[in-house]
Amino acid sequence: MTLASKKLSLTINDKAIDAMDVPETMMMLDFLHEYLNLTGARMGCGQGICNACSVIVEHEDGTLQEARTCITGAHWFAGKKVRTVEGHAKRDASGAIVELSPVQQAFIEHFAFQCGYCTPGFVTGATVLMDQLKRNPVARADLEKTITDALDKHICRCTGYVRYYEAVRDLALNTPGLVKA
Amino acid sequence: MNARFSRRDFLKASIAAGVAIKVSFLLPSARAQLIETPPLPGPDWLKADGKPRYRLDAIAKVTGQKTFSRDYRASDLPGWPKEQSHAFLIHATKADQVFEGIDLNVLGDDLKPDRVLLHEDLMADGIVIPVLGFYGDVFLVPKGQTARLLGQPVALLIYRDFARYDAAKRMVRFNDSVVRYGEKAPYSHPANYGAARYVRIGGSDPSDEDVYSPLKDAVIYGGFSDNEPTWPAAGEGDPMALGMAAAEEIKKEIDSAGDDALVLRRNYFSQSIDASAMEADNGNVWYDSSAGTLHAMIATQSPYEVAEVSAILVSKSKFPLKNVDLKVGYTVGYGTKDHAILPFYCVVAGLYGDGRPVRLANDRYEQFQLGLKRHAFWMDNALVIDRATGKFRAMTGHFKNDGGGRANYSFSVAMVGATAAQSIYYLPKSDFSAAALASRAVDAGSTRGYGTLQSMSATEMMVDEAADLLGMDAIDLRLKNVFKSGMKNSQGAIPAGALRNEEILLKARQHPLWIQRAEKKASFDAANPGKKYGVGFGHVQKDYGTGAEAALATIEFDAKGRIRLAHVAHEIGTGATTSQAIMVGDILGRVPDETEYGKVLWPQMPLESTDEPYTLSQSDEDQRKQNPRWTPRITSPMSATNSVYYLGHATREAARALVELSIWPAAQSLWSRGIGGGALAPYSVRSDELRLVNSIVNAGGMPSLSIADVAAEAHRLGLITGVTVHTFNRWQWTEAEFDIPGVGHRKMAIDAIALKYGDGAPPDKKALMTLDGWQFLNRTAVSYPPVQRNNAGVTYYAPMATFAEVVVDIGSGEVALLSHHTITECGTQVVPELVSGQIQGGIAMGVGHALKEYLPLYEDGPGDGTWNWNRYELPRARDVAVWSQTAEVLPPLSSTDAPKGLAEVVMIAIVPAIANGIAHAIGKRFYELPITPEKIREALT
Repeated sequence: MTLASKKLSLTINDKAIDAMDVPETMMMLDFLHEYLNLTGARMGCGQGICNACSVIVEHEDGTLQEARTCITGAHWFAGKKVRTVEGHAKRDASGAIVELSPVQQAFIEHFAFQCGYCTPGFVTGATVLMDQLKRNPVARADLEKTITDALDKHICRCTGYVRYYEAVRDLALNTPGLVKA
Repeated sequence: MNARFSRRDFLKASIAAGVAIKVSFLLPSARAQLIETPPLPGPDWLKADGKPRYRLDAIAKVTGQKTFSRDYRASDLPGWPKEQSHAFLIHATKADQVFEGIDLNVLGDDLKPDRVLLHEDLMADGIVIPVLGFYGDVFLVPKGQTARLLGQPVALLIYRDFARYDAAKRMVRFNDSVVRYGEKAPYSHPANYGAARYVRIGGSDPSDEDVYSPLKDAVIYGGFSDNEPTWPAAGEGDPMALGMAAAEEIKKEIDSAGDDALVLRRNYFSQSIDASAMEADNGNVWYDSSAGTLHAMIATQSPYEVAEVSAILVSKSKFPLKNVDLKVGYTVGYGTKDHAILPFYCVVAGLYGDGRPVRLANDRYEQFQLGLKRHAFWMDNALVIDRATGKFRAMTGHFKNDGGGRANYSFSVAMVGATAAQSIYYLPKSDFSAAALASRAVDAGSTRGYGTLQSMSATEMMVDEAADLLGMDAIDLRLKNVFKSGMKNSQGAIPAGALRNEEILLKARQHPLWIQRAEKKASFDAANPGKKYGVGFGHVQKDYGTGAEAALATIEFDAKGRIRLAHVAHEIGTGATTSQAIMVGDILGRVPDETEYGKVLWPQMPLESTDEPYTLSQSDEDQRKQNPRWTPRITSPMSATNSVYYLGHATREAARALVELSIWPAAQSLWSRGIGGGALAPYSVRSDELRLVNSIVNAGGMPSLSIADVAAEAHRLGLITGVTVHTFNRWQWTEAEFDIPGVGHRKMAIDAIALKYGDGAPPDKKALMTLDGWQFLNRTAVSYPPVQRNNAGVTYYAPMATFAEVVVDIGSGEVALLSHHTITECGTQVVPELVSGQIQGGIAMGVGHALKEYLPLYEDGPGDGTWNWNRYELPRARDVAVWSQTAEVLPPLSSTDAPKGLAEVVMIAIVPAIANGIAHAIGKRFYELPITPEKIREALT
């Protein structure tokens, strides 16, 4: 096989991936699935339309960015810190979950999802939104619009979005500092 | 969704005898993750009142665990080789030129597949379509022939590594040079799939005996002349001829209606759509030739069918087969993964893996190209209304659907569409026909709504227009004609239980959206030049079930009171696994400590079935049922609509049996301890006073007992401590009688039972437990609903009414949904959060059908391989009034109301509500869906 490849190093869920040989044209989603067996980020469209595949890129300044892995090459992530849905909950040394992230907890308590296929993308999107609200709180009157603007790109076919959105709103309202009085 | 296709051919064609079939749900490790509910040990998912804090599967799903079949690779599957191969299909995008071969030069040497399979290769190895007709006639297009349908695969390519597979697939996609076509040739799709007609003339009063009806007389079956259905001649004697005479009488009455009647004739079109389940169809198959075992992990809503048909497929081929071991994960399909063909392409790929597992997983383009679609429907309706009374005199509807190039359930979908067309109205006379056409389109199947979304939306749009033409309030017109409890449907059957449509209409008539619509329109339109406000209403009732619903469930408890539930149900997103467990808690007062779903092996239930529930004659069934192990069907495909009521019936019957056979006598034993009959003797406590709540047993003022104490006593006494039941429903429940050891004669709404006795049971009783620790009890009598019930079409309905508040931009033609409000009724809500989730999700899908989603049927349609969500627009949060929607669910009439399946009805009412809202907004009616901005602009110019 002579597919052009090169070494890829990055950090995923706080774990260093060191110099893996990865085809130059491979998408990040396929790298996650087929090379790292991280299948939480999901293939929906392969076009960057539905955002089921999105993951978080953690920048050095602490800000978070959503990235669509089905249309972004794996090598674009070289040297970056990535968080997939598998890396949101706190785990013990054995890998067992000991605490969900606030977004995850809000989703399960609101019965936010049904089939759950799009859930990793919503966890990603809502987590990035919470981070943005922490840095730039919004007025209460703007909260629903802010949530819609942030999450409208995520497609869900089961739920009609309502319980996802209500979960995010409740979390924003119940987390000090995200919403201005 | 319904599944009325006879599976007789599936089994009669079978040469799979001797093949052991095993189906299991997920892997033990994944199952454990689902129920251990970290971070807290134990039933953290339950609140103190026994209601769920979150779904049983919530933690696994929200943390991205492997739950879907698609998440699994060979290395995740114990016992499988670790090396994974990958396959993809190359598809024909032309159906009018012969296929000559494939040209893979574009791949060069580097990306050449490790294995290429054409039709001729499969034929040489004896691989043929396992169920001819239902799944077409060939997997791959033969050389020198045309594709039966657009998008039909021509070749299967297998790669031993992912990187080359991935790169090759990208090279081949959209490349017109890969498939070589020859001369023009006629289309080669099959003949049309079937035509049926439901004619009814009621008596002088809804309660009188019908003059003619399908249930009383016959469903009329027709043939075809080209694409037009042909029907038997009208006449006397033969029930179908009599039916045609009745149809002629109705037609004559409509044609000769005088000025005292409004005769409204309208043609409607409902488009083909792709349900766009987020998980595209996929499977991973390992054929172990040394053991003759086909191992598979496949996404499907009908796992038993996949396993069984896979056994038939492989058995006919050169590949030796002794075992089929199918694993299924969670999946989602909205019906499109029920009897879909992709699982069998996966099996074929697996046979050529040279000992390695082969994964075949559609990308989105392929899913559009190969996935089952919702049928396009053309509907020719006529409605006759008495102008003085507003009463409907008669309605006719003649429907055609396009099933594409494989039969699948097209005929069944057409029939169900016809039986639903009456919507919520009582029709004294009706004539609904349905013809399922074959074409070169991508095949359509059992998609959510199953023909009823199409036909009922048309009826509701028609009734709204009729009200306009009569100068009547549209809800008042509905109230004059609403179908009430005890009336007969268009098949002549009386639906089950209370129909509460009138109550819903009376509520709707008082809703502010309706009362204030004229006033709000005037003020909104004045304040917003270029925009028009409107409110529309739609009200439907949808059948749930298939007329052959079968299920198995086990509930047992140990001496510590730990309860275990095992069930055939598996999860397709609706929360079935959560609600089945909650149902046990509602009856036994304790939610199961352990659950097993998707269980297919039931050694304690040695049932036999010919699986012909729709086609068996009464005399054959009467003969076969003498065998106490015989049942018309063992299990049904999993659908969102059949879980809570039909699958739940097995759960509830097993739980109730345990209460009667075990909990009550054990509690009595404890309460009557001591001199003179203990605390129980002075009181007169009856079994119906028993209350089981929060793991505590109470009755009539007796001291509280813990479930654990009662369970220990039941075991000590050797009472029944486990019950497995099989249930069957043919629009009515089967009942059977049993002589239960130590208890006596009992009649139950089940057709088979197995029992387990407690630890203290005497040896002679324990000796009866010969089947995996269970005693299968032969029934002494059974009463299956008569096969004539098949003609009833449906008897179980769930209603839903929806208001849509819309604004139409008359410049752009865009429709914005300001809000919507729904009124529904579903008996007892098992988990209200899941019910409201179904309502919200169904409405979003309906919004897509009404306003956005559309697929051309033929050359420029999904078979061309270029469709994806960039051009196929799905509803997003902005489109569904995410922050401004409301819903109310009527409380049950009593605490004993059964739950109703509403997963399909929830998406229908919004469709006509939007269409009627647009008509209110701009004064234009639309008869073809979806109502796009282009259509609106055109109508306004």
